[in-house]
Amino acid sequence: MLELKDVHTYYGNIHALKGISLKVNDGEIVTLIGSNGAGKSTTLRTIQGLNKPRSGSIVLDGVELHKLPAHEIATLGVAQSPEGRMIFPRMTVMENLEMGAYVRKDLTSFKDDIEHVFSLFPRLKERITQKGGTLSGGEQQMLAMGRALMAKPKILLLDEPSMGLAPLLVELIFDIIKKLNEEGTTILLVEQNALMALSIAHRGYVLQTGEIILSDSAKNLKNDEMVQKSYLGVE
Amino acid sequence: MKNIRSGITFGIIGGMLTFLFGGWSVAIIGSLMGVGLGMGISGKLERKEPLKIILAVLPTALVAAVILVLLSLYQNNFVQHAIGKRPAADKIVLYGNLIGFFGTILFTTLLAALHGLPEKQEQKWRMVLLTLLVIAFPFVDKLTALRWTAQIIFALIFVILGLGLNIVVGYAGLLDLGYAAFFAIGAYTTGILSSPQHGIFMNFWLVIWIAAAMAAIWGFMLGAPTLPLRGDYLAIVTLGFGEIVPVLFKNLIDVTIKEPFTCWILPGLLKLFGAQTTMACITLMEHEDLTAGEKGISPIGRPYLPFIGEFKSSDPIPWYFLIIAIIILSVFIIRRLRDSRLGRSWMAIREDELAAAQMGIDPVKTKLAAFAMGATFSGFAGAFYAAYIAGIFPSVFDFSASIIILCVVILGGIGNINGVIVGGLVIMTADRLFLPALKDFLASLLTHTVLPSISDPVVQLAVKDNANPILYRFLLFGLTLVIMMAVRPEGLIPNAQVRAELHPDETPAIEVETPTSKKAKKG
Repeated sequence: MLELKDVHTYYGNIHALKGISLKVNDGEIVTLIGSNGAGKSTTLRTIQGLNKPRSGSIVLDGVELHKLPAHEIATLGVAQSPEGRMIFPRMTVMENLEMGAYVRKDLTSFKDDIEHVFSLFPRLKERITQKGGTLSGGEQQMLAMGRALMAKPKILLLDEPSMGLAPLLVELIFDIIKKLNEEGTTILLVEQNALMALSIAHRGYVLQTGEIILSDSAKNLKNDEMVQKSYLGVE
Repeated sequence: MKNIRSGITFGIIGGMLTFLFGGWSVAIIGSLMGVGLGMGISGKLERKEPLKIILAVLPTALVAAVILVLLSLYQNNFVQHAIGKRPAADKIVLYGNLIGFFGTILFTTLLAALHGLPEKQEQKWRMVLLTLLVIAFPFVDKLTALRWTAQIIFALIFVILGLGLNIVVGYAGLLDLGYAAFFAIGAYTTGILSSPQHGIFMNFWLVIWIAAAMAAIWGFMLGAPTLPLRGDYLAIVTLGFGEIVPVLFKNLIDVTIKEPFTCWILPGLLKLFGAQTTMACITLMEHEDLTAGEKGISPIGRPYLPFIGEFKSSDPIPWYFLIIAIIILSVFIIRRLRDSRLGRSWMAIREDELAAAQMGIDPVKTKLAAFAMGATFSGFAGAFYAAYIAGIFPSVFDFSASIIILCVVILGGIGNINGVIVGGLVIMTADRLFLPALKDFLASLLTHTVLPSISDPVVQLAVKDNANPILYRFLLFGLTLVIMMAVRPEGLIPNAQVRAELHPDETPAIEVETPTSKKAKKG
């Protein structure tokens, strides 16, 4: 469904992605793991069009995303729950969710979708009229995910959904990611919490300084000695 | 107790205003004061039966009315003497004060009593009452010979300008420091298309739309180069445009536009090959004295309506209703825009441009639409202004005009339509009515009190010349801004979102009704 081929992205002169090639198939959860600065977030930003690749191609269902601006990529069914959440701080929870549905032409199921988001995150329903900026970190994360879901994306990009959250909340979020996938959403998940990510993903890629050094099924990666040592903290 | 205190404050301010205007003014000031007081205190009251509310606010209204009348009588009997004017005729004093007294009480209690109705009804009746007042105002003003309408019209022009700028600054969050440029474009379009100076004489009702369209087109064109800029950088560039446009109009005197192909390219090529050229050069446009530089364009055609005839400068009433109609139209359009998809994208861009792009909002289109829509309304204002003044001069549209419009938006409350209307009325009535009246008052007061006792003629002249508040109007604007930013940065009538951001601890979660949330709640 989504395929990156030899993508090179730069920040000024900094060569952030050095030829990333990866593939996400329909209905999969694919995770990108790696340490800080490995290029995980940059990969997502490049897919979303917030950074433009200098070379290489990104293709979603036959459409070349790397030639399009960010807002058009969004209309093609790519939604991201970004790192740092980037919710609209002065809009209410409801308005934030409405913004998520901005790209959709067909709003007949709008009400059901809102209810669906609220069933996943009951907390948001309690906060419906509150400003996004006044929510707690965990609630903002839920809002960012809910907002991305409102777009009814073909592929959902999740950037560090567990960042800064309490362990209980992390589990909740990962349960929800799994549930979403079971409902048929394709997910590309970027995580520092490699153990959690690999336990729900089908396949995974390991990034190091802008390059993919390993790719395999999540199960095999979990048992890989190098991965265990570097990312899972197993001695 | 707090209400009584606002009653006293209102009474004193209203009474002081009668010092400046005298005569019948107490009647109008009393009524307007009642409206302000009633709306001001009704927000703090509990919703209960109207009759109980009337009883509760009656003392407040009475206090305000008594203070007003006492001060007005003091004005008539003592202050008038002090400034060397004759007191008003007994009849005027009697009826003026009576109307002022009962007007204060009536309107205070009436508007407060409306608070006893359910919220929807309260708003409806409040609108009805305000509409009646707006309609009655110019006629009352004419009867009482106060001549305020002509000045109020200027305030209303700035209300439209404020509403337009509010789209750019308030909704889309793009700080525009050169907004008067679009005002100038609207006014000059009208001037050029309907002045005998040019031999073109188009109907005002057509010209006003052309002016709005021209302003929109230029809003679009001037907006384009600012697209990659944010924050301070955007403000600086708009500042530049604000300076360039009036200078351009000042110097756009003799204009000749030649068709480049026949005038330069073809003759140039022929010359290159050694041929003699006798080709006629086609001039697309040749105009002497297009904007007439500093002299300005004057006279300018005026609107004409059946039954009313041509609008005259001596009778402000038709102008008043014309501008009120333009404001109603603008408010209607702006409300619809605000609640539309486009309005939402403006707010998303204001909040976070990157996140907005991720939601599928095209930042380029959205920002250009904000510039163009904002400019459209200043096009209306410019066309009206040009016709009303019947002359336009480049100096009107300089930087200070942009700043005053920005003050209107900030004082009223960024992002709030009602706030901007109040802001425009407050700033411009202060500028157009209050300051000149204060100047006259001070001048006569000084002539009769302080000046005769100063022996040194140099000092005497210095005091006389400097006791002119109009000289200090920008100081006063500046002070108002500084005080507002320190005391109430969200403006007089704040936008709920801005208030929540500035005072997160004070306000509980405010329910913002949106078309979709309403639907969602019902369902």
